Amino acid sequence: MDERINKLSEDITLDHELLNNPRHLTLEEKRILANRVMKKHGVAGVTLHWVNAGCWLFLIATGTALLSASYLQFMPNWYIAIMDGIFGNRAAMLHAHIAVAVFWMSLLIFYGIFGFKNYLLEFIKNDLTFDKDDIGWLPAKAKNLIGKLSHYDIPPQGAYNAGQKAYAVVVSFSTIILMITGPIMAFHLGSEIIIQWAMLFHFVAAMAVVAGIFVHVYMAALFPEERPAFFSMITGKVNELYAYFFHYKWWKEIKTEEHEFFTSELKKDKIHLPELDECNKK
Amino acid sequence: MTKYAMVIDMDRCVTCHACEVACRAHYEVPVPYYRNWVHPLPPQGVYPDIKKTSYVGLCNHCDDAPCVKACPTGATYKREDGVVVVDKDLCIGCGLCIDACPYGSRYINPLDDKVDKCDFCIDRVLHNEEPVCVQTCIAGARIFGDMNDPNSEVSKLIESGATSNFSSLVNVGPNIYYKDSRNVFPVVKASFPPREPIRPTPQKLWTNVVRPIMWLTIGATFFGQLAALALQLFKGESDIKE
Repeated sequence: MDERINKLSEDITLDHELLNNPRHLTLEEKRILANRVMKKHGVAGVTLHWVNAGCWLFLIATGTALLSASYLQFMPNWYIAIMDGIFGNRAAMLHAHIAVAVFWMSLLIFYGIFGFKNYLLEFIKNDLTFDKDDIGWLPAKAKNLIGKLSHYDIPPQGAYNAGQKAYAVVVSFSTIILMITGPIMAFHLGSEIIIQWAMLFHFVAAMAVVAGIFVHVYMAALFPEERPAFFSMITGKVNELYAYFFHYKWWKEIKTEEHEFFTSELKKDKIHLPELDECNKK
Repeated sequence: MTKYAMVIDMDRCVTCHACEVACRAHYEVPVPYYRNWVHPLPPQGVYPDIKKTSYVGLCNHCDDAPCVKACPTGATYKREDGVVVVDKDLCIGCGLCIDACPYGSRYINPLDDKVDKCDFCIDRVLHNEEPVCVQTCIAGARIFGDMNDPNSEVSKLIESGATSNFSSLVNVGPNIYYKDSRNVFPVVKASFPPREPIRPTPQKLWTNVVRPIMWLTIGATFFGQLAALALQLFKGESDIKE
């Protein structure tokens, strides 16, 4: 028991130092942080992400294949021919597109209603709102990537960096447009001219998301720096080194919550750690 | 290969509207829409030299059908036998084909919100029956058949001068021919000329503005990230833990 408390005390001492004064880490400190994990996404969030991704993939694949008129066509003829072949006939493809879209919409609305407080509001707060650090992030990150700026001079980020947030804004906005224009077309809600405009907005919204998807996939799954983000979408967890490096403000927030939790828990066991008092002071 | 066409014998038509009614009854076409229509024209000429005629119209099953090109999903298509048909399961009722049709041959059926038009009664024709309008015409003014068959009545009538409703501005190869020995067809053409296909603003924007921008943006992000991946593979990776 004592040994664990000692370990905790050591951890908290390091946290305390880094919370007050973010700095370069020694190799030993890096090792310590890399072996600690933090919860980033809940099971509900992880599930929604992958079901949402699957729906998008299907809807983009069928949606672009449904556009066969040459003046509207987006994908080459051979792609449309392959998709026609898979579904057998184009009407089946349209019906599958609508069916999956209705499922996708229902799922998002279900989450939006029942997860309003815990998920939707949190998402809007964490993912869709920008502060001063976010605005400074993009040019700083660009300079950093070409080697003109040290990582430590990039403005600290919350749970999501400004690039991720910008894409989240595009996806959210597009989702709303798609959820309005889709039913208009599928269920003929409005005159022909309304449907014709709905088609245009449906296309723009979907393609805006496609335009960002390559960056999203590359940055999250393939780019070495951000790779923990990809695994966090499976396990829900990230290592603290990654959190400290790339999401300092979020790391700080979680640490502070953690220390408050430790204090109250330890109080029950009548254990007092002076390091915790230091941390909770500010 | 078979190419179905119809000849309207304007010398025989008495403007009785039987074809229109038969079509409406058979396909449950709601008023005020038509798959097949008879629009009477006022009498031409001065008494006693008076000519009375009407515009008997239906889908022209055009060779270069603007509606087929306009349909975004491919719901409207041209069969190999020349008949332009609508796959209602694939139609979303966007009305782009209606804007494209020079003859006003299409309408959105308010009963199912899908586009509807004359299909030469193709289901009947495939069962060796005549189209409803042809069968019902009291004067035998409608002649239906294969214009590629030189022995058919249709091809003989076309050979002997039956002509179709096109203009110097709009000629998309209409396949409804009019036999006219009283010189009344020019009046019909002048009263009901084919109009140029319309492409609505959102679709013009799509073709000319939105699609090029999207191609560029998506292409740029795709190849940009592909280049980044190639660079990463070339240089090798380093983990932040190291």
